Amino acid sequence: MTTISNDQYCGLDHRSNFSPGHTSKGYCTLLFARREFLDALSSRWFLLYTIAFSMLSISVSYMSLAGSGSQGFAGFGRTTAGLLNLIMLVVPLMALIAGAGSIAGERERGTLLYLLAQPITRTELLFGKYIGLAVAMCCSMGFGFGLSASVLAWKAGGVGLGSFSMLILLTCMLSLAMLSVGMLLSVLSRRSGVATGLGLFCWLVLVFLSDLGLMAGTVIFKLRVQEVFAIAIFNPLQAFKMGVIVNMNASLDVLGPVGTYATRTFGDALSWLLALTIVAWIILPLLFAMLVFRKRGGV
Amino acid sequence: MLKSRTLILLISIGVIGLATPFSIASDQPQSVDVIAELIDQADDGATVTVPEGIYQGNLIVSKPITLLANGQVIIDALGSGTVIELRTEGITLRGFTVRGSGSTVDHEPAGVRAFDGPVIIEDNRFEDVYFGIDLRQSPETIIRNNFIIGKELELGRRGDGIRLWWSHGCVIQDNTAIDLRDMVFWYSEDLIIERNKVSQSRYGLHFMYSHNTVMSENELTDNSVGIYLMYSNNITLKHNRVVNNRGSSGYGIGLKDCDDIIIQDNALLANRVGVYIDNSPSSVDAVGLITRNRLSFNEIGLLATPITHDNVITENAFIENEEQVTVHGGGQLTLNSFEKDGRGNFWSDYAGFDLENDGIGDLPHAPRSLFRNLLAREPNLRIFVHSPAQQAIELTARAFPDLSPQPMFTDPHPLSSVPALQLMSSSDSTNPWPMAALSGGLLLASLSVGWFIIYTPGRSQTQRLHHLRSVDA
Repeated sequence: MTTISNDQYCGLDHRSNFSPGHTSKGYCTLLFARREFLDALSSRWFLLYTIAFSMLSISVSYMSLAGSGSQGFAGFGRTTAGLLNLIMLVVPLMALIAGAGSIAGERERGTLLYLLAQPITRTELLFGKYIGLAVAMCCSMGFGFGLSASVLAWKAGGVGLGSFSMLILLTCMLSLAMLSVGMLLSVLSRRSGVATGLGLFCWLVLVFLSDLGLMAGTVIFKLRVQEVFAIAIFNPLQAFKMGVIVNMNASLDVLGPVGTYATRTFGDALSWLLALTIVAWIILPLLFAMLVFRKRGGV
Repeated sequence: MLKSRTLILLISIGVIGLATPFSIASDQPQSVDVIAELIDQADDGATVTVPEGIYQGNLIVSKPITLLANGQVIIDALGSGTVIELRTEGITLRGFTVRGSGSTVDHEPAGVRAFDGPVIIEDNRFEDVYFGIDLRQSPETIIRNNFIIGKELELGRRGDGIRLWWSHGCVIQDNTAIDLRDMVFWYSEDLIIERNKVSQSRYGLHFMYSHNTVMSENELTDNSVGIYLMYSNNITLKHNRVVNNRGSSGYGIGLKDCDDIIIQDNALLANRVGVYIDNSPSSVDAVGLITRNRLSFNEIGLLATPITHDNVITENAFIENEEQVTVHGGGQLTLNSFEKDGRGNFWSDYAGFDLENDGIGDLPHAPRSLFRNLLAREPNLRIFVHSPAQQAIELTARAFPDLSPQPMFTDPHPLSSVPALQLMSSSDSTNPWPMAALSGGLLLASLSVGWFIIYTPGRSQTQRLHHLRSVDA
């Protein structure tokens, strides 16, 4: 890592200012990740988010089992759907807003130029910020899910352990994808207000508008099942929802003709397809953000 | 036991190797003619005990005798034809392992086929059979405590686990059937069907033109359909446990043109549809009664065709079904009663209250859902269930009452708490510790990651960056 050319760095090479032996690219990234994590910990949104997510997931888990305790049975019911709904509303919102604020906020305050004057590449900075926020969000959700898992263990025993673990994994993936999108918006906008606005709009589109539009399209144009599925799967939230349901029910029959079509056509590959969609939503926006940021830098 | 048999096997292999012409080992397969000869020598009504061993071929019994297996007696038809045919009444078959029937559709090969009744088929194990037990006009037969596992064929190609054809007054108890098509009853009346378990099959219990029967304490899990009654009248379903039957047109309990059905004290959990009513009752003066059942976690609790009438649905607990009650293709269920003697059902989505504290909600339960109505019209929209967009549509309908549809049904006296139900409880309990471990692991991981990051030795560098930042600010 010693042969990195100067033009990759933003500003002069101050690398010698840092303690020797700790100058690798990965180390710088982690340093920024740590800083971002600490910033997140000290900020109010993070605390609020952790508390809200924990309270909501505990109460939903508790409620979902209240009616089934006598039968020792937990299934995919309305309240599980409620938890799914909750995740689909709250997680993208928080991830998008957190991602949107990250670069644009520093840019607006003028600190971004200063950070970039440090002996690090723009890629390292962006990646570090992403990792820091991602770890913070996953920790916060892990805490909330941990509390609701204790409610499940207490009320229902080990029922649904596999699907619950899968729900946690998929939720973390969803938050990473939304964070990616948030970062992209953040890189694109000059002011943090604009970035936050864009984040909110993006949230509105992903959560409501795209679904409502596709609903209208389904009714008006009489879309066939494969068309509905192909369009719906582009939405990471739909992919997430289908992934959770596939893992709970081993099929998408719950989702009517479209789900049955998906299950019949893709079989066991369906959950991989859905996971791949979310992974694409993690990688592509982040990659794009990286390209834009390398070009644009601190201005 | 196992050890000694292995020992015998080893010894016999050794003996065979040394002196093949002189000895016949007990595990050496023999022909079923050996059993046929034993039967020939016995008098009518005698008991024939078949010694332990493997017998190959197709056995035909045409004498009223009791056949007992002494230890493990395997009768193997080697994949062709019916394994055992019972050609006369008065035969008892007890304790055998029956396997390797044919698998062609044309002759419907079975494990045991009875042509006359009564016979008794008890404590047998059926493996790799096309049909399990097939009764053809064998009235008053007892089929008890058999274990039947079918061939590995796709659902539509399989044979039935137990089939009755024109066999009145039979007793079917404590049987287990796995990987088969149906347990099906054709033109057979006055049956007793208790404590059977059917799983991974097509229809758990299937009635065709079979009247006057009580079915109780059966467990039907992971089939396409749990119980399907067709053109069968006067049947009572009690204390059955119907779980996770979710074929793409699957039901927990389905009723097709059936009169005077009583569905009582059943647990209907996690099926695609809990109870499906298709034109039942169909006669003018007949009624249907659905009472004290628990319908939980089904995709649809109760599904009915639009013309459905004269059902009384009372004191059931509808809990957490994705759709509690809906009409196939849209419409209303006004010709049915959702209460009896001032007592309705418990609905987990009831939004009313019970000020008098008499256990009856003060407001009627008449759910309206715009999204449900859309679903009934455009089934492809179901892909959007469980999403915030669905909630948005419901909210819109509530905000603009003009858009709000007519309720599909009205329960005038909804119960304010879950009625005490006498259900068959689940036999398996789960271990809470893995979940507790997951909980502890998650909490520990999230906290320790935070702790680790805060207190890592890289602090000075970060402080440096913070310092740089604060200087700027």
